[in-house]
Amino acid sequence: MGMRVDLGEEIADLQGPGPGRGRTWLGRNWLWRVLSQSLQAKIGLAVLLFFVAIAVLAPWIMPYDVHTPVGPPYEPPSWEHPLGLDDGGIDMVSLLIQGGRVSLVVGFAATLVAMVIGGGIGIIAGYFGGRSDSILMRITDYFLVIPDLPLAIIIAAVWGASLSHLIFVIALLLWTTTARIVRAQVKSGRERVYVMRARSLGASDARIIFRHVLPQIGPLLVATVVLTIAVAIFDETALTFLGLGDPTAITWGSIIEFAFLRTAISAGAWWAVIPPGLCVAFVIMGCFWFGRAIEDALNPRLDVSYLSPRTFRVRPLPGTEPETG
Amino acid sequence: MRRADYLIKRVAFAIVTVFVAITLNFFLFRVLPGDAVRNLSRVPRASEEFRHSLEVQFGLDKPVWAQYLIYLRELFHGNMGVSFSDQQPVWNNLREALANTIPMAALGTVIAVAIGIVTGVLSAWRRGKTSDHVSTNLAIAFYSFPTQWLALVVLIYLSEWFPSHGMTDPFLIDPTPWEHLVDVLRHMALPSLVFALTLYGEYTLIVRSAMLETLGEDYVLTARAKGLPQRRIVVRHAFRNALLPTTTLIALSLGYIVAGAILIETVFSWPGIGNAVYQAVTERDYPMLQGAFLVLTVSVVFFNLLADLLYFKLDPRITE
Amino acid sequence: MSLLEVRDLHVWFDLPDGGQLHAVQGVTLGVDAGERIGLVGESGCGKTTTVLAILGLLPPSATVAGDVQFEGESIRRDVGETVQPRRWKDISMVFQGAMNARNPVKTTEAQITEPMEFHGTAEGAKARRIAGELLEMVGIPAAAGSRYPHEFSGGMRQRAALAMALACGPKVLLADEPTTALDVMVQAQILELLTGLAHDLGLALVLVTHDLPVVAQVCERAAVMYAGEIVETGRMDDLFHAPRHPYTRLLFAATPDLYGEEDVASIPGAPPRLDREIVGCPFRERCDRAFERCRDERPALLPLGADRMAACHLNDDPVAAGFAHR
Repeated sequence: MGMRVDLGEEIADLQGPGPGRGRTWLGRNWLWRVLSQSLQAKIGLAVLLFFVAIAVLAPWIMPYDVHTPVGPPYEPPSWEHPLGLDDGGIDMVSLLIQGGRVSLVVGFAATLVAMVIGGGIGIIAGYFGGRSDSILMRITDYFLVIPDLPLAIIIAAVWGASLSHLIFVIALLLWTTTARIVRAQVKSGRERVYVMRARSLGASDARIIFRHVLPQIGPLLVATVVLTIAVAIFDETALTFLGLGDPTAITWGSIIEFAFLRTAISAGAWWAVIPPGLCVAFVIMGCFWFGRAIEDALNPRLDVSYLSPRTFRVRPLPGTEPETG
Repeated sequence: MRRADYLIKRVAFAIVTVFVAITLNFFLFRVLPGDAVRNLSRVPRASEEFRHSLEVQFGLDKPVWAQYLIYLRELFHGNMGVSFSDQQPVWNNLREALANTIPMAALGTVIAVAIGIVTGVLSAWRRGKTSDHVSTNLAIAFYSFPTQWLALVVLIYLSEWFPSHGMTDPFLIDPTPWEHLVDVLRHMALPSLVFALTLYGEYTLIVRSAMLETLGEDYVLTARAKGLPQRRIVVRHAFRNALLPTTTLIALSLGYIVAGAILIETVFSWPGIGNAVYQAVTERDYPMLQGAFLVLTVSVVFFNLLADLLYFKLDPRITE
Repeated sequence: MSLLEVRDLHVWFDLPDGGQLHAVQGVTLGVDAGERIGLVGESGCGKTTTVLAILGLLPPSATVAGDVQFEGESIRRDVGETVQPRRWKDISMVFQGAMNARNPVKTTEAQITEPMEFHGTAEGAKARRIAGELLEMVGIPAAAGSRYPHEFSGGMRQRAALAMALACGPKVLLADEPTTALDVMVQAQILELLTGLAHDLGLALVLVTHDLPVVAQVCERAAVMYAGEIVETGRMDDLFHAPRHPYTRLLFAATPDLYGEEDVASIPGAPPRLDREIVGCPFRERCDRAFERCRDERPALLPLGADRMAACHLNDDPVAAGFAHR
């Protein structure tokens, strides 16, 4: 539903300029620091690693084959099949594991493409500035306004359904926000002292970009990548649901789609519908928590509030009687 | 004077964007494989004369740039082609679909905004406490649920009490206006609910953040020093200020609602513009797809412009 | 009995790692109607906290002990019930950095009339008329009432804040650094305004500042604060010419003299940490006259004659300490 990579950025901007607000680079071991300071980061990362681990270990932990029926359609959950069977008699748990694999791959791949394109454009626009900057930004501005899903639908409809097409289409939706975010960061990074020093020493642009600017925007890049993965997976489920995914691939989105098309609802087979959505939701939440924790660490905000439900405490002076009344 | 400048710039930007969208629309169908434009005239089950008249009308025998100009001309006359599925003018179909979507989406949005504001303000006030964590993470959860999945879940559990398909009861013969209204509202309940649930999370986060900003401002301390009670300060001072960025962000998000509309309407078979897109996709009804895409793009641009104008009106500080 | 009295006020703030910061350590002071006193000290010495405590504006991380009395009645005890009605009506405040003290989306006039209507001192057209008069009194044309805060210059904002503070006709005005960030000319005008108002309206004024010339211009008496406690009080002349505490002496000496007769000396070192208990005199480390007793025994604030108090062991033998003349 209009999931946005940059929701965190916009929300951070709401906190406005002011004392204590500024982008800070966290240093070399920033990941460790963020993790140790933020419970949110720990939980987010844990959730993500959990799903990635399952996806990686899939061939070894999958209890049943995803192409072989093992019982009647929509058999309810039992000890052998904790999440029941789908309409083809296939074990839901195995389906979920397989689906997770593909969904995550699609999400990562789409993000990768989006980051390469968006990041590349953002770096060029931010670093070189001037005309190339304004031209590139104009283009991105127009793209930003065009509604994502309809555009994706049209492209996918006209182009045909396959996994690689899907990845490309999703990437197309995502590159604009990444470009904007990267550009903003590169711009501020460019003004740093050591970058200017490197330039005056005659270092080539490429070298400066790779050795100085990129490490500096590293944390933010990671946060953006993570948040983009969330949106990519979200978009995948949406596009697949509308019939624009690869009909031969099993993804969480396709599991939901088939549940819908094959009347799981009227059959009362909630186990075919609820688990895949929950998996998607948890991955997205994990991404959100982890990504936001990094963003928060980069944008420290003053924690002042002049209103609060509690008030200050009162205590008797040492040596006097406790107050009455 | 400067305020007028700002207005003009934003409107100009909006117009240009619509133009870009129209152009994109035009070329999209010619560039991608499948040569969809040829299909514009290849309306199935239509007579040969009809097809030929379409071909002439859209200049399909002329070079591309001429076609583009013709396309523009036809567009300004409200002619978006003819739907493959029902041979009706695309614009008529879209208009009807839009009229169906708007009340449903509006209801859902209003509910979402109301819930979002209340939870956002309360979370900001109780910042750091358990209630804040619970409500914030709940908002994140609902923001993360895939829209179509949420619709299905609601369908599973609530279809006992509310109708789950379409906009009207096909068996209701000759209803009075009142009966008709009730019928439609009952059908609208579930889709609007899903709308509200998917949207509210984002609004909670936005309002909460805007409130946190204002609660740390000096004038809040001044208001307390004046002896004003906390609730009054929250509502009349802090929230009033938080309203500024909140309204713009909410208005901006309205443009993106279209995505959700597509998914929700598909699940509930609500005959709106989202469903029209879905039908057009499954039936490869290219003229409808093209037309719907344009309408949706224009609505996004419109809401963005609205957001700009709103902010403009609400903030006395925009004079620089 | 004074109009406003603070008795043995203590304030602690919770620290993130669990300890507490003892920001205000037993402050006692009083002000009568029509009196203008200054509360002076470096930043971080607790003067702002003291003043906030009077109005009960401390955050939830604070703990308070001691008493605040207004017209003989204790107002500190129950935060919500007792202080609130008094806020603005009896005691009001002008804040540090009044730049942002006003709500940017409300007109100046509205912000002056709001407390009036809330406390019931005036309403409607009458309130607006009074607002206009207040603005004129502080030197702003009444028509500016319909303007928004961002349309005011720095000096005007300060004046407007002053007008706002006087809205309900308070008897005590607390002014926290009212002239910081203003240029010298504007500063002088605002101070003149303050003095005039206090005189004309019979206000009791507590002026909090680190800036000595400011205090010198406006106040008759002053209390010098250091590390959360008051180390000396007295009349301005006495404090300037015959200080009875080394900190006061160094503080006044550190002020550039317009005539260039005195040397400008800043005080080396930093104030002590307030998150642990202080043994001995808190000023010991930076004092040029410290001796053994200062290390072990904390000096109490003792009266030294009419209208004079100081907390320094040197006062036990003023002649030997050289306090007799400057």
